[in-house]
Amino acid sequence: MSYKIPMGPYHPALEEPYKLDMICEGETVLDAKLHIGFNFRGIEHLAETRNHIQAIALMERVCGICSFIHTLTFCRAMEGLTDQTPPPRAQYIRVIMAELERLHSHVLWAGIAAKLMGFKTMFMTCFEIREKIMDILAAISGNRVNYSMNRIGGVNRDITDPQSILKMVEKLESEMAHTVIPIFTTSRTARSRCAGIGVLTKEHAISCAVVGPVARASGLPQDLRKDAPYAAYPEMEFDVPVVPDGDVRARLLVRALEIMESCKILRQALSKLPPGEFHTGDDKFNFITGTSTARVEAPRGEVMYSVSWKEGSRNPARVHVRTPTFAVMPAIRWMVKGARLADTTLIQASIDPCYSCTDR
Amino acid sequence: MSSFESISEKLGTTEPWVDKGGVHWLVLDAAKVREVAKTMNEIQARFITITAYQLPKDEGFRLEYHWDLNGQLLGFSFQLAGKSIESIFDLTEAADWIEREIHEEYGIDFTGREYEPLLLRQGETMGVNLRDAVAASQEKI
Repeated sequence: MSYKIPMGPYHPALEEPYKLDMICEGETVLDAKLHIGFNFRGIEHLAETRNHIQAIALMERVCGICSFIHTLTFCRAMEGLTDQTPPPRAQYIRVIMAELERLHSHVLWAGIAAKLMGFKTMFMTCFEIREKIMDILAAISGNRVNYSMNRIGGVNRDITDPQSILKMVEKLESEMAHTVIPIFTTSRTARSRCAGIGVLTKEHAISCAVVGPVARASGLPQDLRKDAPYAAYPEMEFDVPVVPDGDVRARLLVRALEIMESCKILRQALSKLPPGEFHTGDDKFNFITGTSTARVEAPRGEVMYSVSWKEGSRNPARVHVRTPTFAVMPAIRWMVKGARLADTTLIQASIDPCYSCTDR
Repeated sequence: MSSFESISEKLGTTEPWVDKGGVHWLVLDAAKVREVAKTMNEIQARFITITAYQLPKDEGFRLEYHWDLNGQLLGFSFQLAGKSIESIFDLTEAADWIEREIHEEYGIDFTGREYEPLLLRQGETMGVNLRDAVAASQEKI
C-alpha cells in the first residue's frame, strides 16, 4: 500500500521553504511532486519601479550567496543597452569576485552536505574555511554578503594590493587541499553515504535541461566560462570537471574539483591583474530602446537576465531572471524516484538548491 | 550551410536572423512554436527559458523562447494576438515550470497541457494577470 509523505515547507535539511510530496511504498519513493512559491517576492516586477542604480541594489538581493553574480549578470545586460565596455582591470576583478563567490558557495554547500551525512566535524571545518573566504571578500569589497561591487561599466572598488589577497588565497587553497578535498574525494563515510543514490541519468539531465555542477555530474560538459566566455575568462586556463555517474557522490566530486579549479583561476587573475581604471567613469547613461540578454556561470549554474529598456525611461521596462535552481529543481523528481526515504534529504540538498533565487 | 540557415530550413521560414542584444533572434508566427521546440530537440539545443512581455494598450503579449546551442544564445520571438499559445511541455520537459509561472503571472494559457496546483502563489485562482491585479488593488487604495 502506498502512502504520501510531505517534506517541508519547514525543511529538515534546508533553511528555506519548499515542499516535496513523496508517494512511498515501504521505504521506497515511487514518485514526488514539488511545490515552491512560499516566499515569492515579485522582484522582477519591483525592478520595473526602480532606476538603474536602485535596480542593481535590488538584484543583489535575489540571492544571499550569489549576490555578486546576480549584479554581474544584470550589469552585463545593462552594459549592452548603454554601449559600455568595462576596462580590463574591471574584467579581472569581476572574475576574482565571481570565483571567490563560487568557493564560498561550494564550501558552504560542502558543510551542509557533511552535516546531512552525519559528519559534523567536517561541517565545522567547512564553516571555518568559509569564514576565511568571507574575510577575503570583505577585504576586497568591505562587505560579507551583499558586496556592492558591480556598476554599469565596471566595478565600484579596486583591488589595491593583489599580492596580499593572493597570499590569503594560497593559504586557503592549501588548507582546503588538506581537509575538504581529500575527505570528499576519498573518505569512506562520504563514499558509503553518497555513492549510487539520487541518480540523475544523462538522458534526464538533458530532458530537464539542468545546469551547473548537477549537469556536469551527469556527464554534460557545459560551463558558460568555456562555452560563452565573458569578463576575463578567455584569458584564464582551467578545466571543467565532468563526472558521468549522476549520483550524489558525483555532485560532491564535481564541486570538490571545482574548488581547486577556482583557486587556479584566482591565482592567475590576481597575479596578472592589469593596470588601469576599474570602471569607465560614466555615471549618466543613455539607454537605448531594446532588450539585452546576459548569461553568467554562477556557482549553481547558468544565470540569465533579459533586461528591456525604453529610451528616455528612468526604469527598466522588463527584467526577467532565470536562476539555476529554477532549472535544476524539477529534476529532483527523477533523483528521488526509487530512492530510500532516508536518503531523500541528502539527495535534495545535493543539487545545492536556492529557494531565494527560485522564489525571486 | 550555417547552423542558422539549417534551422531556418527545418522551420520552413525565410525570415532573417537578427543578432541583437547578445542573442540570435528569429521572429516567427506563434503557430510555429511547437515546430521550433521539435527542431531545437533535433539539433540538441538546451532549453533555457521563456520571457513574457505585456505589450502596451491592447496589443497582447510577446513571448521570447531561449535555447542554447553550443554556447550561442538563440531567441525565438512570438507575438500573441490573444492570450494563448500551444504548450511545448510534452516536447520539452524543461519548459514545465516557466509555462506555469507565466500562466500565473500573465494569465496566458498554454494550450494542450494540464496545470498542477499553483507554482508561485497560494490559493485557488489560476491564470490571473498579476500586473492587472496589482494595478487594480492600488487603485482601490
